[in-house]
Amino acid sequence: MSKNALLRSVYALSPLLALLAAPLVTAGTAEAADPIRIGVVTPLSGTYAPIGQQVRWGLELATKEVNAAGGILGRQVELLFEDEEANPAVATQKAEKLFQVNKVDFLTGTVNSGSTLAVGQLAERNGRLIATTVSFSDAITTDKCSPNVFRVNARAGQQSAALAEWLAKDKPKAKVYYLGPDYEMGRSTVAAFKAAAEKTGAQSAGEVFAPLGSKDYSQYFGQLRAARPSVLYTSTAGNDTVRLLTQMGEYGLLRNLTIVGASGTVTAQNIGAIGKAADGFVTGVGYSAELATPENQAFVAAFRKEYNTAPDLYGADSYGLIGFFKAAVEKAGGTDTDALRKAMEGLSWSTPQGSKTMRAGDHQAIQDMYAVRIAADGSSTRFDVVGTVPGEAAIGPDQCTRF
Amino acid sequence: MPEATLRTVSDPGRAGPASRSSRLAPVHWLALIFLAAALGFAAVAWATGNGFYLRLATEALIFAGLAMSVDLLLGYTGLLSLGQALYFGLGAYVSALVLRDVAPSFWLAMAAALLAGGVAGLIGGVIANRVKGVYFALITFGLAQVAAKTVYNTRALGASDGLIGIPQIQVGFGPFSLDTADPLSFFLLVLGLTVVAYAGLSYLMDAPFGRTLAAIRANEKRVPFLGFNAWRYKLAVYVLAACVAALAGALYPMLRGFVSPELMFFETSGNAVITVIVGGVGTLVGPVVGSLLLTALRSVVGSWTEHHLIVVGVIFMLSVIFLRKGLVGALLARLSRRGEQGRATP
Repeated sequence: MSKNALLRSVYALSPLLALLAAPLVTAGTAEAADPIRIGVVTPLSGTYAPIGQQVRWGLELATKEVNAAGGILGRQVELLFEDEEANPAVATQKAEKLFQVNKVDFLTGTVNSGSTLAVGQLAERNGRLIATTVSFSDAITTDKCSPNVFRVNARAGQQSAALAEWLAKDKPKAKVYYLGPDYEMGRSTVAAFKAAAEKTGAQSAGEVFAPLGSKDYSQYFGQLRAARPSVLYTSTAGNDTVRLLTQMGEYGLLRNLTIVGASGTVTAQNIGAIGKAADGFVTGVGYSAELATPENQAFVAAFRKEYNTAPDLYGADSYGLIGFFKAAVEKAGGTDTDALRKAMEGLSWSTPQGSKTMRAGDHQAIQDMYAVRIAADGSSTRFDVVGTVPGEAAIGPDQCTRF
Repeated sequence: MPEATLRTVSDPGRAGPASRSSRLAPVHWLALIFLAAALGFAAVAWATGNGFYLRLATEALIFAGLAMSVDLLLGYTGLLSLGQALYFGLGAYVSALVLRDVAPSFWLAMAAALLAGGVAGLIGGVIANRVKGVYFALITFGLAQVAAKTVYNTRALGASDGLIGIPQIQVGFGPFSLDTADPLSFFLLVLGLTVVAYAGLSYLMDAPFGRTLAAIRANEKRVPFLGFNAWRYKLAVYVLAACVAALAGALYPMLRGFVSPELMFFETSGNAVITVIVGGVGTLVGPVVGSLLLTALRSVVGSWTEHHLIVVGVIFMLSVIFLRKGLVGALLARLSRRGEQGRATP
């Protein structure tokens, strides 16, 4: 009874106590109790779940390190995850919830390029900023650029520019044959690389497009042999690459031919199935776990310790995003949208991949690009870095006119 | 299916022709209760300044329109369409293109979507109605896949990225106008349109047209003996369903400001069928209730676990096993049983 009365009086007095205590705490520490919230809308189920998993791991590892070191401006960082299902209609709904109900300060994680574009527009309408760490469609930072969208990963154009640079140096004036999957993305990837390669002196020996999900590629091998190329470029993905490369191996076409391709052609997911046929494949990417810098080796070791697997491109780019966000918030002195946008534009920050700079004109990060060659002897595989292309050489002109 | 035949004669949920003039059927009472609940929800959400939930409910009503169009085919005519998202997506793309490139006019966008839905429905209907049963389901599925892949690979339509930059617009009603950017106004507009669609379609389903559809569902072979051309009715209801789906789709870009090929994918069609079955087949109000329920569930469970699809799947299976006529069907059965008891004891 007396205990109840005591409690009741404390409750009754608590607003008064708070008022009395208010002058004692400064505004800064009052804010410190309030964490900085970052919404993450990323595929946690379905086909793209492995990518979403890397995004999640990269973000969580970086957040853990930042929080252990005292957070950002003394505030802890909190991540709120929502499943994007790789569907823009779901992504916008989840992003709206994070913006309006959870009041997140920043949002990231979208994988599907359509999701990034749609969520970017939503961010504009809600007066918040987003960043993608995965989507590589050029449109996001060219003709469909948005003042509220930043991209910290390399876009498709940077990847093909890096590969073309390496090709021009390693195999000058190469005769290149192009083999792509017959759908819009496959064709535009081939067209982009072809343009980049011809600019650096490569010649075209011909091109062919096979239907998506082809079982048998041998019907194209006659044309391929007749064209006598020294290099084959392909933009197939997933199981299509498995069938293409193993069938080429069976027909003996891999001898005296350098195979290059898009960054999604051979990945950690399908390399096991390709096996020895993947040996020698070269691609242009923004990251490899084999990068021999101390920052990267420390990152890979920490990542392996935490999750028992190596980080890939998506994990590394997502890890780097938290560093970008931290640097920008500290520069802006808070999370106000306009101040944060200004702080992010032109910002340079360090990542396991080396230093990155956010170009102010189109919100595309500039970074060194790498030509990576796969070494596969049948039992183990490595992604060896065989060439580095400086960021400025791979970035291309600023094509964003909206801001 | 003797049960289905019986149901056409004395449908427990629906008023017979004799009582139609005197009393409102129980299913319409349910619809009214639902409408009152929706208005109550809007008032609470508005008072607490909760735009997100209003917009989520608006999206649920838009997808309810798609589910209603599935119900017209599945519940009233016995045709399972696995590709209704084709017309929903078509309406969405047409509306998006009109709003972005022609004029930011609500009525123009709706009219264009209706026209496109009607024409596409006529073409799709002529193709799909050549066959019956499972083949009909497969053809509708195939048509939607062809359309979705075409959009997915067409650069002019944004390909896999979809179209963004659809403006928020003013909807004019003579001297009045409302803003689609305002969550409450747009919710009330979509709610109003849903009520109009429900009222209009229920009237049509109680009219001779709907009775003929019920006869086709019960026993298509007997319909010609009554002097009706079953094919013509099936085509008509297919076009009607396509128009309803296209109109619902036309509202989507007004709410979200973008369209993407995923709107035409099987996932969207499949969800509409699940919505109808969980809500109540052949009730029209069931799809609306089902859509609101499933949308709310996905949003809540989705934040809580990434295994939300399992939860929805289990609910679907439970409702198929235990609520054969869906939520609304089960409610109606209970209501009519109570009504009969009331009448038996004066």
